[in-house]
Amino acid sequence: MATILVNGKKREVQAPTDTPLLYVLRNDLELSGPQFGCGLAQCGVCSVLLDGKEVRSCITPLSAVRDKEVTTLEGLGTRWAKQKGLTAEQAAKTLHPVQQAWIDEQAPQCGFCQNGMMIKATELLERNASPSLAEIKEAFTSGVSPHLCRCGTYTAIIQAVQLAATQMMGKREVL
Amino acid sequence: MIAHQKRTTKAPTDVFGASLSRRGFVKSGGALLVGFGVFKIDAQESAPGVGGNSMNAALPQSWIEIHADNTILMRVGKPDFGTSSVFTAYRQIVAEELSVPFEAITTVVSGDTDRTPDGSGAFDFLGGGMPNCRKAAAYVHQALLDLASQKVGVPKDKLSVKDGMVSGGGKTVSYGELVKNQKLNLTIPVRGELTSMFGLTVVGDPPLKPVSEYTVIGKSFTNSVTVSKVTAKETWVTDVRLPGMLHGRMVHPKTLGSKLISVGALDKARFPNTRVVVKGNLVGVVAPTEWEAIKAAQQVASGTTWTEWRGLPGTARLFQFLKEDADWKTTPIDTSKKSSGDVSPALANSAKKFSATYQRPFLKHAPIGPAVAVGDVHPDGTVYVYTHTQNPQALRSAIAHMLSSSVDKVVVRSFAGPGHYGRSNGGNAGSEDEAVILSQAVGKPVRVQWMRQEDFQWSTQSAAALSDVHIGLDAQGNVTAYQIDHYMPAMQDDRLVGAILAGLPTIPAPNEKESLFGLRNGVSDPWVYDGVPAVLERGHGTAQIGQHSSAINVGLRDHSLRTPVQYQQNFPRELAITEAARLAGKDPLQFRIQHAREKRLIAALETVRDATKWKPRSEPPKTENGERRGQGVSALYRGGTYWACVANVAVDMNSGRVKVEKMTIAVDPGIVVNPLQLKRQVEGGTVMGVSMTLFEELLFDESGVVSSDWRSYPIATMADLPEINVVLINRPEVGKYGQGSEAANALAASAISGAFLDATGKAARRLPLKPEYVQGLLKS
Repeated sequence: MATILVNGKKREVQAPTDTPLLYVLRNDLELSGPQFGCGLAQCGVCSVLLDGKEVRSCITPLSAVRDKEVTTLEGLGTRWAKQKGLTAEQAAKTLHPVQQAWIDEQAPQCGFCQNGMMIKATELLERNASPSLAEIKEAFTSGVSPHLCRCGTYTAIIQAVQLAATQMMGKREVL
Repeated sequence: MIAHQKRTTKAPTDVFGASLSRRGFVKSGGALLVGFGVFKIDAQESAPGVGGNSMNAALPQSWIEIHADNTILMRVGKPDFGTSSVFTAYRQIVAEELSVPFEAITTVVSGDTDRTPDGSGAFDFLGGGMPNCRKAAAYVHQALLDLASQKVGVPKDKLSVKDGMVSGGGKTVSYGELVKNQKLNLTIPVRGELTSMFGLTVVGDPPLKPVSEYTVIGKSFTNSVTVSKVTAKETWVTDVRLPGMLHGRMVHPKTLGSKLISVGALDKARFPNTRVVVKGNLVGVVAPTEWEAIKAAQQVASGTTWTEWRGLPGTARLFQFLKEDADWKTTPIDTSKKSSGDVSPALANSAKKFSATYQRPFLKHAPIGPAVAVGDVHPDGTVYVYTHTQNPQALRSAIAHMLSSSVDKVVVRSFAGPGHYGRSNGGNAGSEDEAVILSQAVGKPVRVQWMRQEDFQWSTQSAAALSDVHIGLDAQGNVTAYQIDHYMPAMQDDRLVGAILAGLPTIPAPNEKESLFGLRNGVSDPWVYDGVPAVLERGHGTAQIGQHSSAINVGLRDHSLRTPVQYQQNFPRELAITEAARLAGKDPLQFRIQHAREKRLIAALETVRDATKWKPRSEPPKTENGERRGQGVSALYRGGTYWACVANVAVDMNSGRVKVEKMTIAVDPGIVVNPLQLKRQVEGGTVMGVSMTLFEELLFDESGVVSSDWRSYPIATMADLPEINVVLINRPEVGKYGQGSEAANALAASAISGAFLDATGKAARRLPLKPEYVQGLLKS
């Protein structure tokens, strides 16, 4: 049993502390953003932000996330609203610019991997507001493993990251 | 249920073979529902088999509903797998035939066996330009015109329709007003078998909207499902949670031919709430939580013993096995329709000749998420399956067969999930049957999630193949004779693997007498070089490798993967054509144009030539910074669409690493339905093609599949992404929309290998182009 902070809310969970965070998020908290892809930290579909850093929830035990903030795909809008100081009313109808760009660019095919792609994009754009093409490719292929897309949507993902970057720099209002 | 005419209140109106009837009046609302009448019942099929689609009579079995508020609902048996065709192209096609705005179709229901009418699967969405939804909409349009004609007192041919408003004789009436306060039913003619692989087909010839009047088809509409997927509001197959649902994990056999000797004892102290289920050679555990199920399955597996089996040639000996050991004599040879002329004398008399053998390895579909499904067997024998399959009705039939039950007792609901690329187009995605077996055993809903390793080792693969090519040239460098013999094991094994293990009924393994596709290796890459006078194309088939010697009749099971069979056949043909051009001293792109006669193909080749500023090579490639660059071209015709592709590659002459720098693809499908979605589909298919060409090869030993994860079965990452330029060629004058996305993966292999030849002078006749293989070629 543990208390964890997920998307800005404290949640008590009964699961044994060796349970991978992914199963806690999906089964105990009924979040649907992170997906099970490999259980081996080789694909990235299970990614979440842990204190703003992208981690693979399939190999992160529940015990490792105490005292840290977990952000899932569900929490990206709130995260953005908080960063921009939006009101609660505004926040409720806000998508994170990354999510909006994913829609505008029609990035997903099957979409199963896109949770991890959007989490990685958010992590990247929070530390590098205007990444180059090489920096985008580096972000999605370095770390514990590359983020894999079997449908081959990498071109659309890059275009969506670039669009999100311009939106996050305030060139376009996102509400 | 089939709409029975006896329930009508007056004689039905004939609508080009469909039947429009008024079933009553209602105080508010009103609708025109479209059901189906069976046009022709197959000999073995009983009427209840078709009519028994709906478990719940309250759910109308209807293709298209026109509502009084001018909204429209459509139902499609095919589930969408992410290419968006159900939610974009199909909506556009229905809106177009009805002459309503795209947005007027407010609801699209797809893929559930109790909520959709026609069956079939996620493949061939545009159906040669005539998907069911197009004809269904055309019938509805005519019925609405009949209603309007009665309402405004103007003959049908004097009416016009725009944005769902019918005008004539100075009056205007909306579709909604035509159906208001009425219960109308349109029965349209169909044929086929609902729960077969191909489902029902709408027949008859309702008038279709002239292409010149199109306003919706040809525009880039977005996919409505993208929003829910991107905002974590989609209910994925992975999110299905039923009351009392338990988590299952399988303990699969040690090899692809093993039988169970003994089941490991469950450590009840560690897993007090877990149950072990054993049925024949099927072993699974069921637990209240997923983590307990995973750990318990590992613990049970460690003590479970299996018989040994060594019936596979292993990756290293695969092509020797195919060449020397496999039986190609029993299965009838398929000869292509395009075969013509007398090849033997033409080859014998040619000025220059060339012969070569080409090899493609086994590939995995490799969905990014492993198979998962929930089975729920009720005490009364009804079965619900919650899954992610390309063909829900075919799965429904397979589950009913497994349980020796009837399809009326089985409902399959489909949800969003990882792409399958053909793996489940004949019904099962992997774990549905096991979920049903475990649910039946424990009396509760059970969710079975395969682990990554199981998905590689227990799913089907795309078959390996080899091809022998002979080409003859005359003194001027024209191809005078072309002969190709393709060899490939059978490739559509839709058996339920859990049913096989449990000893329950399932369809037979692919065989020549009983199965849908038999063992034949059909020539599936339509010949496009009509200027060649003598052509012989033959396909040779055999049984799946290891299946007959496997004690459980499994072995390496194969299944269609994007551009199935044609992928296996286009690579040898197109690389051989490039090699023939080289032998003739000709530019490979011009060489293709020279031998082609079809103007659309020539135009596609010219499009990629111009888009890449292709120049015939005037001097040998030079090594710069250890690299050599080359350009390659390929062409393909599939399902009404002409394709041409140019690849630009760089080869590291020391390490043997091949980098694809740019891919340019021209697509001529006739009418482009949705430019944005087609472009995205082609980009994706191209990346998959690059991945298959450079990296992908199933590794197996004598007992089973060795590839178990993304390290042992690597696929392309963003670092491998080339620049991709997709050029769409829209041809309204063709009057049809051809197939879209999947062929891009096939073109890539042949164009990239052509570019490799251009850069290095070496023909890489085996895939994938891994550095070790390339290094060996460069040294040869």
